[in-house]
Amino acid sequence: MKTKKTLGLAAAASITALSGAWASEINIAREMDANNYDPHKTTALAAAEILFMLGDTLIAIEPDMQTITPGLATSWEMSEDGLTYTFKLRDDVKFCDGRAMTADDVVYSFSRWLDPATNSPVNWRAGEVESITAPDATTVVYKLKSPFSELLYQLTQSFATIIDKNQVEAMGADFGIQGMNGTGPYCWESWNPRDQLTMTKHAGYAWGPDFYENKGEAQIDRLVWQVVPEENTRTIALMTDQTQITQYVPYIALEQLKSAPNVNVVQSDSAFWTYFIGFKIDKDTVADPAVRRAINMAVDQDALAQGQFFGGVLGAHSYISPETKDWDPALEAELPPYDPAAANALLDEAGWVPGSDGIRVKDGVRLAPVGYFFTGSTWQKLSEYTQAELRKIGVDLQIEVFDATVAWGKMATQEFDAFGMSYPYVSAGDALNLYFPSTNIPTPNRMNWDDAETDQWLDEGKAALDDATRAGAYSKVLHKVHDANVWLPLIHEPRTIVSSTRLAPIVPHSNYGAALYKGLDLKLVE
Amino acid sequence: MSAVDAAAAVEAAPARRHWFVALMRDPAAAIAIIVFVLIAVAAALAPWLAPYDPTESTRNMMLPPVWAERGIPEHLLGTDGQGRDILSRLLYGTRMTLLIGLIAVVAGGGIGSLLGLLAAFYSRLDPWIMRSADVMLSFPAILLGLALVAVMGAGIMPVILALAIATVPDSARIARSVAVGVMKQEFVEAGRAVGLSDRTLFTRYLLRNCISSIMIFMSLRFGQVILLGSALSFLGLGARPPASELGMMASQGRDFMLFAPHIAIIPSLAIFVIVLTANVAGDALRDVLDPRMRS
Repeated sequence: MKTKKTLGLAAAASITALSGAWASEINIAREMDANNYDPHKTTALAAAEILFMLGDTLIAIEPDMQTITPGLATSWEMSEDGLTYTFKLRDDVKFCDGRAMTADDVVYSFSRWLDPATNSPVNWRAGEVESITAPDATTVVYKLKSPFSELLYQLTQSFATIIDKNQVEAMGADFGIQGMNGTGPYCWESWNPRDQLTMTKHAGYAWGPDFYENKGEAQIDRLVWQVVPEENTRTIALMTDQTQITQYVPYIALEQLKSAPNVNVVQSDSAFWTYFIGFKIDKDTVADPAVRRAINMAVDQDALAQGQFFGGVLGAHSYISPETKDWDPALEAELPPYDPAAANALLDEAGWVPGSDGIRVKDGVRLAPVGYFFTGSTWQKLSEYTQAELRKIGVDLQIEVFDATVAWGKMATQEFDAFGMSYPYVSAGDALNLYFPSTNIPTPNRMNWDDAETDQWLDEGKAALDDATRAGAYSKVLHKVHDANVWLPLIHEPRTIVSSTRLAPIVPHSNYGAALYKGLDLKLVE
Repeated sequence: MSAVDAAAAVEAAPARRHWFVALMRDPAAAIAIIVFVLIAVAAALAPWLAPYDPTESTRNMMLPPVWAERGIPEHLLGTDGQGRDILSRLLYGTRMTLLIGLIAVVAGGGIGSLLGLLAAFYSRLDPWIMRSADVMLSFPAILLGLALVAVMGAGIMPVILALAIATVPDSARIARSVAVGVMKQEFVEAGRAVGLSDRTLFTRYLLRNCISSIMIFMSLRFGQVILLGSALSFLGLGARPPASELGMMASQGRDFMLFAPHIAIIPSLAIFVIVLTANVAGDALRDVLDPRMRS
């Protein structure tokens, strides 16, 4: 009994000591974990939201997703031919281990990103690089083989995070798994995959982006990123203060949470994350442009946004949000309207005849496209809603669902007719250059969209040296792919942050969907 | 019918005549059987009883049942997240669930029982069949379902196959244990002595005397199979949208648990009632048909 009492006292003492060690700590709930936290080897949102806090980029983007602002670089210049970018770096930046960051670290980070040995799935985002050099400790010269008008936007992404050469070489394959020494406002503490990642405040941090009121040290000592896969559990955890903030709350709960006394709900004004169903345009079922147009006219995206997502998202009629940089407003008049009767008439005209079960047939082809989708409640809602809408015009969408561990591989094949996907973007060029170049077949150009004009316009857009030329080139691509109804856009998803009233409300960011971005405005209410 | 054959059948005849009466004397069994039969009949008549097409979605999403606030008489059990009528989906879903269970039990139980009887009848086959059954027992049905779905893709067929395969070893064990006892009976010896063929001995002596035990096992197994099948569908391995199946319906309702719990609770309750009634009826059937339990 005495032993028990002693042990109890010891445990209580150690708990007190532990809690005393962190003056402030918050728990952040999220839906899933990333496969790793190496900025060059992952494209997951779950990785980006951590990497933005652990590391920094040369330049940052403001919440409006239009304005580029200084990050680790205080200034930058582009040569007249658009081939050379010169970045001037801060001289006071330190990694979490205390070592000063120099231009050599920047050169190493970008070189590793581009190195074929790294096998980065996103190295195209760095442009066609001629050389990256560091003439002195605070200058980086980024030379391109051909102009890349998207470069500055791409350098705001987590893939362009500056990493520590010493650590990468010491850790080898364990980099991003056992640790990640960055220059960000928080430092890596530990990671238990699919459970928890913890990070602690970076003492001495003073180089936050200008749009933050607090550009110095983080205002919370320790962050615990907790994976809570089940959305009802996340909601309850928030309402009972087991977690203090999350951007992964089911839309059905938002109205109730807005009226809850202990919770704040804030939503970004814009949505730079779009869900869509893409069509493999050389498959019998969806090769006919009339079928793709009819499908686009048969689905009421606004009702989908309202009914399935309770108004928490926006019905998508275009492939990128109309607020995106280089969107062409003239396109809005050309987008297919919701008109199931006209969709039915279009299919009738095109010779697709309803069979005895109501599903249309033409030349022996049954209009039953096979769609590959991810598991999870969002895609369940989207795919089943679309399926129900399409049945009304005699299209029988076959839903096949795969776990994320399998889905990416399945969607790289030619087995399916349609696929469900969602993606973040910073600009029209970012979106179009990802999905529509013929060189990106079979993935991410899963539509097999192989069009010489599109390739030419994308190249023109990339090589443009002024805004008007770039926007003009991308506008042509936007018109062409929308006219062809290569996708069925479903929803644009703004970022929503739900937090405890113990935390000051923060402005959601939209960069790659990482709503908390650098977390510099996270603070407890006095 | 030979004299020996007739003698073998004599013992069980009076009990068989009265088994249904005896079964209905047990109030729990009677209620279970009546409820189960009503559910089965309603499921079988789903196309005529269902008020709506179970795949037809409306803009009336997540309507509660008629007895709750906001409930409307047009949708007695409310609607799901896609605005589909839950009563219609429940009827069709029950039909699908019962069908999956029935096919799996009949196929798996039939094959397993045949193997078990063969193992008892031909002793040289015994080690081969029973060791194979032991190996099969080491694969849980859920794992088997996952493996089959990985190979065949999600759908009803892999689920039925997984459930049927999972039923084979248990059925084989039960059938063999009963058959071994029967094989030691004097009438089997007598049958052999008068020169009856293996086929006659197997079908008329062994099978007839084991069939009641096998049927009892299958009725008890039916409930387990329904539960396992629903679990596989809950995990997304079974029926594909827009088809309705009780496990899948419960899974679809999971996201709405906090705000529209009826979407998950109604199909879950249906699974519970089906499994409970099947088990109670199976237990009662065993009490009535198994001579050892009667004594």
